[in-house]
Formats: sequence, structure tokens, C-alpha cells
Amino acid sequence: MFQLDVLIEDFFSILKVVPQTLLLAVIILILSLFMGGCLALIQRKKIPILFTIITVVQSFLRGTPNVVLLYLGYYSLPFIVQYIVSLMGIDFNPHQLDPVITVIVVFSISFSVFQSETIRGSLHSVERGQIEAAQSLGYGFFHTLWKVIIPQALVEALPDIMNSFLVIIKALSLAYLISVVDIFGQAKLLGAYNFSYIEAFVAAAFVYWILCSIFTLFINKFELRLRKGY
Amino acid sequence: MDITFMLEILPQFLSVLPITLLIIVVSTICGFLLSVLVVAIRIKKVRLLNPIMGMYISFTRSTPILLQLFLIYYGLPVVLALMGIHINDMNPTTASIITLIIYNGAYMSEVVRPAYLAVERGQHEAADSLGFSPFKKLYRIIIPQVAPIALPGLGNAIIYLIHDTSLIFAIGVVDIMGLANIIISSNYGMNQIEIYLLIAIIYWIVSMLSEQMIKYLERRKQRLPYNGSTKEVA
Repeated sequence: MFQLDVLIEDFFSILKVVPQTLLLAVIILILSLFMGGCLALIQRKKIPILFTIITVVQSFLRGTPNVVLLYLGYYSLPFIVQYIVSLMGIDFNPHQLDPVITVIVVFSISFSVFQSETIRGSLHSVERGQIEAAQSLGYGFFHTLWKVIIPQALVEALPDIMNSFLVIIKALSLAYLISVVDIFGQAKLLGAYNFSYIEAFVAAAFVYWILCSIFTLFINKFELRLRKGY
Repeated sequence: MDITFMLEILPQFLSVLPITLLIIVVSTICGFLLSVLVVAIRIKKVRLLNPIMGMYISFTRSTPILLQLFLIYYGLPVVLALMGIHINDMNPTTASIITLIIYNGAYMSEVVRPAYLAVERGQHEAADSLGFSPFKKLYRIIIPQVAPIALPGLGNAIIYLIHDTSLIFAIGVVDIMGLANIIISSNYGMNQIEIYLLIAIIYWIVSMLSEQMIKYLERRKQRLPYNGSTKEVA
């Protein structure tokens, strides 16, 4: 009932989609970090109206599952893009929008909330005195941010960021629902192709397991080195 | 946007909400019990079982829950057949409950274990030297100290569990998401945005309510000082 040769074959054909899954995850990670950073800054500066809006949006994004957001984005994003593009006077067919873009946009937005928490925590870890010292040296806002705060906060946040990278890789398994092929999507395709779902899923599980083990090992090593720095 | 349509289909969604809630409650409780068992095995370092638990936790944490759902749904009947139990038709609801219990057992054990380890060694020794029985020690000294540490983590786990129940439609359970698919196909692919917006709002409300419940529990635990109860016993 369980064929080992099919498992091995599936394993290697799933390995082929690993690079594109990782690439997608990296893009989402960077975008969500950027947006999360903006959110954290707005929350820190307590900008009046934006602050309230962000609090509500954050609660919404935290309260709804990724699948629901993904479907919501899948059906509404093409029309939003069409509307924005039509304002600029360009014709755009809403059915042309690549689902990969939907995945990137939806996941970047939904993970930016979690990133903003990480970033907020790491910003807190930067001592007040460091900022005051920079200000007394006549650094501007962006100069302080770029030269003083970010380098220190980044070191503090890196383990959490790496962790969220793993979470994103796992969350990408949902992308098959809107026809984007990642590790899980590939397993599903292979399973349907030769009617051996179990072998394909076991192979995918091994791929995920190995991938996460490698990254976890990497994180632990990195964390140890950082702790030594202090 | 069609608000009246959203209100029209709301009763249908509320009628399937009990299935989701049942799955959430059953898998929270059973998952928690499983996690306690896992923690007990890992802390007592039971031979043979301890490395297996390590593997189990690493596996469930590094594979997506969607994959685990499919693995259990397709794989469990095969494994059971090897042991001589033949199931012709796996019920998707059962499969999803089993998956969520297994997943949560691992996830919650990683919350409970650090909380247990955070209790000082001296507390155990003090209880032992006062002649507490192991059960009484656990009940009177350890649990009141573990609970406040573990509660926020467990609350997070429950919120994630609520989110994960949105995936069980993938193996054919007719819950909120499953119903959405049915409605969309019977509507010739119209009104998807409204339907998914409604689902998002339902999940939002469920998550917020459970968050409030957990916060209430946390406040109650804080009001109940464990030093008071230990004094009373001593």
C-alpha cells in the first residue's frame, strides 16, 4: 500500500519547488518587516488618527485566520487594483492579476502586524540614553533611526524575525488554495497525478521538517553568537 | 458591496458555528491534557518515550497544520489497517479533531514546560521537607505558581487554534468555510467578497470574545495570591 520508490521520487520533485517557496517567503518577510516597522513607528509616535485606525486594523488582522484573508484578498484585490489603476487612466483587466501577487500582498499585510510587535519590543530594548546621546550630537530623526536605533534593535529582533520566517514558510502552504504552487501545493499535485496522496504528503512533511530543522539550527547558533557579544 | 445579502446569509453561518465551536472546545481540552502528559514524560525523562516526544514536538512544529490534516485524513486509516483495524470511511470531522489535538498537544506542551521549569527548585524542596504528598505538592504548591505563567501562552494557543479551525474545510468538513464554498457555488460565483468579509467578521468576534475570556481568567488568577493559600496549608 505504501510505496517507498514513489516517496523518494516525490521527495526529489518537491525539492525542486523549495527555492521558489523560499524566495516567496523572503519577499513576504522583507515587505512585512518594512510595513511592521512603519506600524511600530506610528504607534510609538502616537500619530492621532492613524493610531486609532491601526489599532482597529491590527485587532481585525489578529482576529481573522489567514485563509479567510487570503480568499478575501483573492476576490477583492483585482478590483481594488483596477480601481487604483483606472484613476491613473490605464485600462486593466482584473482577471489578469497573478495570484502570486495576491499571496504576497495578503501575507505581507497580515504578518506586518506580528512583525510590528517584534519591532516594538526590540525598539524598547534600545536604551533611552542612546537616543538622547544621538540627539545631543545633533543627529536628525532619520539619522538617529538609521545609525543608532536600527542597528541595535535589529540584533535584538533577529531571532524573532527568523522565527517568523519559518511561520511564513508554513503559512505559504495555504497558497495552493488560490493556485500558487509551493511545497504543499506540489505535494498535492503529485498526489493527484499518481493517486498516491500519502507518499506525496509524507515526502512534503520530510521536506518541511528538514528545512525547519536547518533553520532552527542556524537560529540557535546565531543567537548564541549574539549573546556572547554582550 | 451588498449589505442586505450579508445579513441574509448570516443565519446560515450562525447555524454551522456550533460545529466550529465544538471542535475548538474538544481540541482545546484534549490538547491540553495531552500536553500535560507530554510535559510529564519530558520532565520525568521517561526512557524511550522522551526522545519520541522530542521528535513529535519538532515534527508538529515544523510542518504546516494543513499538511498534518491531510496526513491524518489519508494516512491514519492506512496505519490503523496495518494494526488490523479497518476503517472504510474516515470522517473528516474526526480527522480534524484528532489533528488539532495532536498539534495542540505539542504546541501547549512548549508553553507548559517552561512555566513548570520556572518554578524554583526550592519550592519543591520546601514542600517535600514539610511532608507534602506528591499529589498535594502539585496541587497546592506547583500548579498555583505554574498557572499565572502559562495562562498568556495558553491564551495565544487557543487563538491560534481558532484560526486553525478555518482550515478543516480543506478535507471536507462543512464548517463556516465549507459553507462559504457551498454558497458560492450555488450562487454561480457571485458575492464572494461579501461572504468572506462576513466570515472574517465572525472569526474576529469569536477571537475577541475568547481573548476577553482569557484576560478575565488572568485577572482572577492574579487576585488569587498563591502565598496566601500556602500559608493556610502550612
